[in-house]
Amino acid sequence: MSAAPAAIEVRGVAVGYGDRVVQENLDFEVRKGEVFVILGGSGSGKSSVLKVMIGLVPPLSGQVLFDGEDLVRAEGDDRLRLLRKFGVMYQGGALFGSMTVLENVRLPLDEFSDLEPDERKLVALGKLNLVSLLPAATRMPSELSGGMKKRAAIARALALDPGILFLDEPSAGLDPITSAELDQTIRELSRGLGITFVVVTHELQSIFAIADRCIMLDARRKTIIAAGAPADLRDHSPDPYVRQFFARQAQPVGAMSGGSGA
Amino acid sequence: MKNGSIEASPTPRARAVVQRGPDGATLSISGTLSLETAAVARREAQAAMSSSTGSALEVDASGIEVGDMSGMSVIYDLAEGRLLPGVRAAVKGLKPEFRILLSALPTPAAIESLEAPPPRRSFLGELGVGVISMAGDLRQQVTFLGATLLAAAAALRHPRTLRWPEVLVVVEKAGVNAVPIVSLISLLTGVIIAYEVAQPLSMFGAKAFTADIIGIVMVREFSPIFTAIVLAGRSGSAFAAEIGTMKVNEELDALTTMGLEPMRFLLVQRVLAGTLLMPALTAFSMLAGVFGGVVVMMGMGFALDQIWSHLSSSVHVGDVLVGTLKAIAFGAIVSGLGCLRGIQTKEGPSAVGDSATRAVVAGILMIIVVDAVFAVLTNVLQV
Repeated sequence: MSAAPAAIEVRGVAVGYGDRVVQENLDFEVRKGEVFVILGGSGSGKSSVLKVMIGLVPPLSGQVLFDGEDLVRAEGDDRLRLLRKFGVMYQGGALFGSMTVLENVRLPLDEFSDLEPDERKLVALGKLNLVSLLPAATRMPSELSGGMKKRAAIARALALDPGILFLDEPSAGLDPITSAELDQTIRELSRGLGITFVVVTHELQSIFAIADRCIMLDARRKTIIAAGAPADLRDHSPDPYVRQFFARQAQPVGAMSGGSGA
Repeated sequence: MKNGSIEASPTPRARAVVQRGPDGATLSISGTLSLETAAVARREAQAAMSSSTGSALEVDASGIEVGDMSGMSVIYDLAEGRLLPGVRAAVKGLKPEFRILLSALPTPAAIESLEAPPPRRSFLGELGVGVISMAGDLRQQVTFLGATLLAAAAALRHPRTLRWPEVLVVVEKAGVNAVPIVSLISLLTGVIIAYEVAQPLSMFGAKAFTADIIGIVMVREFSPIFTAIVLAGRSGSAFAAEIGTMKVNEELDALTTMGLEPMRFLLVQRVLAGTLLMPALTAFSMLAGVFGGVVVMMGMGFALDQIWSHLSSSVHVGDVLVGTLKAIAFGAIVSGLGCLRGIQTKEGPSAVGDSATRAVVAGILMIIVVDAVFAVLTNVLQV
C-alpha cells in the first residue's frame, strides 16, 4: 500500500457531553488528498465528532493532530495557525446574512491577508468561480437556493486556500440532482487541486460518488464499526449489518425510502 | 507547545529573477507563491522589471513548488498586464493544479459584467416610498386594531375559547417580574422631582406644595408613561421577537392551516394580558413615586401628617382614574404594537431583531402621542 501521509490523525478520542459518552475509542487518520467520509445514522454522534475535529468542542479524551500538532491543546497563535489549515462548510451554509456572497468570501481575506483590496476581490471571485457561483457574487445569501448557499459556503471555506475542507452534511436538504452536482464539485476540487476532504453524511448515494475511504459510526456500540473503501465494505465486510447497510445503495429508490413501497 | 517541537524550517518565500534576451525578458518565479508571500512577490517582480524597457515578457513559472490562488493572482496580474502596464506576459511551465487556480480567476471583463447592486433612488423617490410605506403601515395598524378588538370581544363573549393559562404566564412575565424595576424607577423619579421642585418653590415660601406636585405629576403623568415605557422595552420587544421567530419558522402558517387563527391563538392573550397588567403595575409605580417624594420631604423636615394633608387635598379620585385609564390604553397599545411588529416580520437573519426594535420605537412614540391626546381631552372635559 502506498498510502499518502496523514493530514489528520484522530487518536483515542472520546466524544460526549458531561457524563454522556456519544462515541469513544476513535482512532483513525485522514490521508492527504483523499475524500474521507464519516458515516452514521441520526444520533450516532457524527456531527459531534466533526465538532471535535475542527476544535469547536473539546473531546472527553484523546488528540486531534494536524500534521502532527494537537489542535485540542493548542492555544493562542499555535491554535490560529492550525485553524488556518482547514476550512469548514456548515450544514446550512452559515453565510453572514447582512453581506453579499462576495463579501462573505472576502471576509477571511480582508482579515488575514496583506493583499491589495483589488487582489482580494479578484481572489474571492476566483473562489466563487471554482464552485461555479461567479454570477451570484453580488447577491445576498437570502436570494440563493439551498445548493447555491452550500457552494458559497465552500467558496468561503476555501478563501485562505486551506489544504483541508470539512463538509457537514453537504447533501442535507438538497434534491438528488443538486446533490449530485455538489458531489461533482467536491470530486473536481479533490482531483484538480489535491484538497483533502472530510465529509460527514448519511447519504449513501453521495458516499459511493465521492468517498475514497469512510468510517461508519454506530450509536449503540458507540464506536467505529467499519472502516475502508465503500465498495469493499459492501462486498467484503465481516459484519453482515455493515454489508446490508451499504448494499441498500443497489436497491431501487422506492425501496430505499421505505415509505412508498406497496 | 514546546519550543523544541517547532521545526526550524526557513520562512517560505518566492524568488523572482529576470533574464534579458534578444526577444525580450524572461521572469523566472520560483519557490512558494502563496497567501503569505504574494504581496512581497508582487513587489519583487515589479522591482525586478522596473528597469526593463522591452515590451515582450515571458514568465517561467516552472520553479513554483508551493502555491495557492492568492499566489496565482500575481501571475494573473502579470498575464493581464496589470502589474507592468502595457506588458502582457506569456506564462509557461505552470503546474496543472496551479493552472486550474489561475484559470478560475475571472477576466477583468467578467468582473465588470457582474450585476451591479441596484442604483440608489433619488431623494424624491426615497421620500415617496417612505410616505407610501408609512400610509400603508398606518392602514395596517388600524386594521390590526379593529381585528384585535373583534377578537377580544369574541373572547370575552366566550371566555372559555381563550387560553387563560397563557394569559397568566404573560401577566407574570411582563407584569409581576417587572415590579422591581418599575418600583425602583418610580421611587427615584419621585426623589428627583422632590429635590428639583422644592428649590424653586422655597423661593416663594411654598415648599410644602412639593407634595401636591409630586402627587399630581406621578399619578396623572409619569407613572403611566414610565410603566408603559418599561413595558415597551421589556415586553413589547419580547412579543415582537417571539411572534417574529414563530413567523420565520412558519409556525404561524402551521397554526393557520390547522384552522387556528394566530390572532385568537397568540395575539389576543398577549394584548389582553398587557391591558390587564398595566393598571396594576402603574399602581405600584404611583405608590413608589409618591413614597420617594414623601421620604425626601420628611428629610427636609416636614411632618408626615402635613404631607398627607397636602396630598389628600390635591390628588383626587379623578386623577387616579385618569392615570389608570392611560395605563389601560398604553398597555393595549404597547402589547398590540409588539404583536403587530411580530406579525410583520420579514425574512432574513436580522428580521426578528428589526421587528423588536420597531416594536419598542413605535410603542414609545404612540405612548407620547396618546398621552398628548389625553392631555387635550382632560383639559376640554375639565377632569
